[in-house]
Amino acid sequence: MRLTIYIVRRLLFAFLLMVGVSLIIFFLVNAVGDPIELMMAETPGVSAETIERMKVHYGLDQDPLTRYFIWLGKLLSLDFGTSIIYNQPVGSLIATWGWQTFKIQVPAILIALAIAIFVGTTAARRQHSRTDFAVMSGALLGQSLPAFFLGILLILIFSYTFDVLPSYGAYSTRGYLWGSVVADGLWHMVLPVAMLAFFNTATLTLLMRSNMVDVLKLDFIAAARASGIPERRVVYRHALRVAVIPVLTYLGLLVGLMLGTAPVTETVFTWPGLGYLYVTAIHQLDYPIIMGASMVIAAMLIAATTLTDIAYVLIDPRIRLE
Amino acid sequence: MSDSSSLNASVLPDDAAVLARHKPKGIWRQGCERFLHSRTGMLGLVLVALVVAVAVFGPFLAPFDPHDQSAMLDPGAKAPPSWVHPLGTDRMAYDVASRVIYGAPTALIVGLGAMSIAAFVGVVVGGIAGYRGGLTDEIIMRATDFFLVIPVFVVILAVVRLLSSMVVNTPLESIPYLNLGTIIVLIGIFGWAPIARMTRAEFLRLKNQEFIEAARCIGATTGDILFRHILPNALPSLIVMVALGIGGAILSEAMIGFLGFGDPKAVSWGQLLFFNYESLKVAPWASLAPGAAIFVTVLGFNLLADGLSDAFNPRSGR
Repeated sequence: MRLTIYIVRRLLFAFLLMVGVSLIIFFLVNAVGDPIELMMAETPGVSAETIERMKVHYGLDQDPLTRYFIWLGKLLSLDFGTSIIYNQPVGSLIATWGWQTFKIQVPAILIALAIAIFVGTTAARRQHSRTDFAVMSGALLGQSLPAFFLGILLILIFSYTFDVLPSYGAYSTRGYLWGSVVADGLWHMVLPVAMLAFFNTATLTLLMRSNMVDVLKLDFIAAARASGIPERRVVYRHALRVAVIPVLTYLGLLVGLMLGTAPVTETVFTWPGLGYLYVTAIHQLDYPIIMGASMVIAAMLIAATTLTDIAYVLIDPRIRLE
Repeated sequence: MSDSSSLNASVLPDDAAVLARHKPKGIWRQGCERFLHSRTGMLGLVLVALVVAVAVFGPFLAPFDPHDQSAMLDPGAKAPPSWVHPLGTDRMAYDVASRVIYGAPTALIVGLGAMSIAAFVGVVVGGIAGYRGGLTDEIIMRATDFFLVIPVFVVILAVVRLLSSMVVNTPLESIPYLNLGTIIVLIGIFGWAPIARMTRAEFLRLKNQEFIEAARCIGATTGDILFRHILPNALPSLIVMVALGIGGAILSEAMIGFLGFGDPKAVSWGQLLFFNYESLKVAPWASLAPGAAIFVTVLGFNLLADGLSDAFNPRSGR
């Protein structure tokens, strides 16, 4: 019962957050001036009549509050309007480009999680050893290495020096690798996924290690060892189950961080994802995309944190709701 | 945990005789002593000191003026490193080494400026929430949650770009470094939430402790309790957050610059990357040097924060 109330409250709060975000995004974009006039200020030589016609075309002749509710109403039916630059529905643009973002971020998280669990556990089992020190130093360094700088280094090494991996795009422009779309797509994914995975691995490993260190000191581990269960099984069955919970719940935050910095990481590889779409839209002041894409990014972020909070309570029996 | 408790024992002698001879050391003194023994913390301090030194003595160190394009004639643009241009020249024939050196003060101003704003707002908001409690606390913490989950970087990008197009053809256009100022203020305004959360937790923890009650008993005013008793005790944790935040702010500015939304008049590392990234294949030094500068600075502040948190909260982490 308490759990249901908690979940309902959490979902309500997520909904309120979304309303808040939509207010911020809409009024930020509109408070700084009329979008059409902003665009035209940078492209001289457009007649006043044309500007007026464009305003009517995009429905900008109404007052902001009415437009906010019209925009919100359309959002609810997943209608994000029409892009000014691409002249395509923003919804389908976001879906196509968003899929590319999904394609590199999900494998990156899974790879990072697998490496972090193994390396973090190994370091925790040998606490204060040289292995542990090396892992800790490496993770601290990796945490500070900006993802986009790592991307630049990867391109320099693997694309320019050894010329084995492509440095930009999701597919080759002239002929696929081995004539296969799948192979070509995977080939292009290697560097972006490596960059994102490295970035996540550092943080997750540190978290995994410190949790494992604490869990391995608990009484039930001593009991398991005393009852003659093999050490490997004690660590990977008994301890891991407890130690991995905070790591899993941290994934929600990590997804948010990755999505939030997607504009940068995707620009490095000219990767046709949501972040790159967003950056080009901002450069060209394509405001339906700016608003649509930031709403989608915010929605995914809020969904990730909300699910994390709920999952935390569901998974960890030690947490009691008051 | 075991290593820190042994450290504790050496710094905090519980032997009464020893206590009588030596005055007990305050949290600052203890923290400093532990910090001096922290390898990561000292390395961080050295890196940060290096960046600060470069920023202060930059004008005397830099071989060229940051706006000097005279190299266009002699070694030409995108020239590889040489004795005259130790890090080569970039796409526009600027001396890379000089530009990287002149980028250091910009980075530090961004980091310190943004974090001063964030720390001020965060401490005031978090302090009020923690000290007042009740409904005030509830409302403020919901607002803080809001700032913690919105995609800050995405919002900042849009605002910077929209503002820069809004000032076209207005008198505001002539304000020097308006764009950089906007970026600093935005990073600060959107960065206070974690500090507010930490301040609140610290104030909640401290306000019911005995020494606060004692202060109240001898008639200390609310202001005295807040600023002379609670805040100084909350400072160690806050300083760690601020050190981390400075690195984060510098990184944010670099990312904004890398995407081409930086201040065109300022010399910043992110912007150097933006200008030179497309010639990465021909002139990698022009992208590597500012990238490495960002890495070293962020690493320095992260390590410093790590060392400080070990020094001031010996029982947490590790």
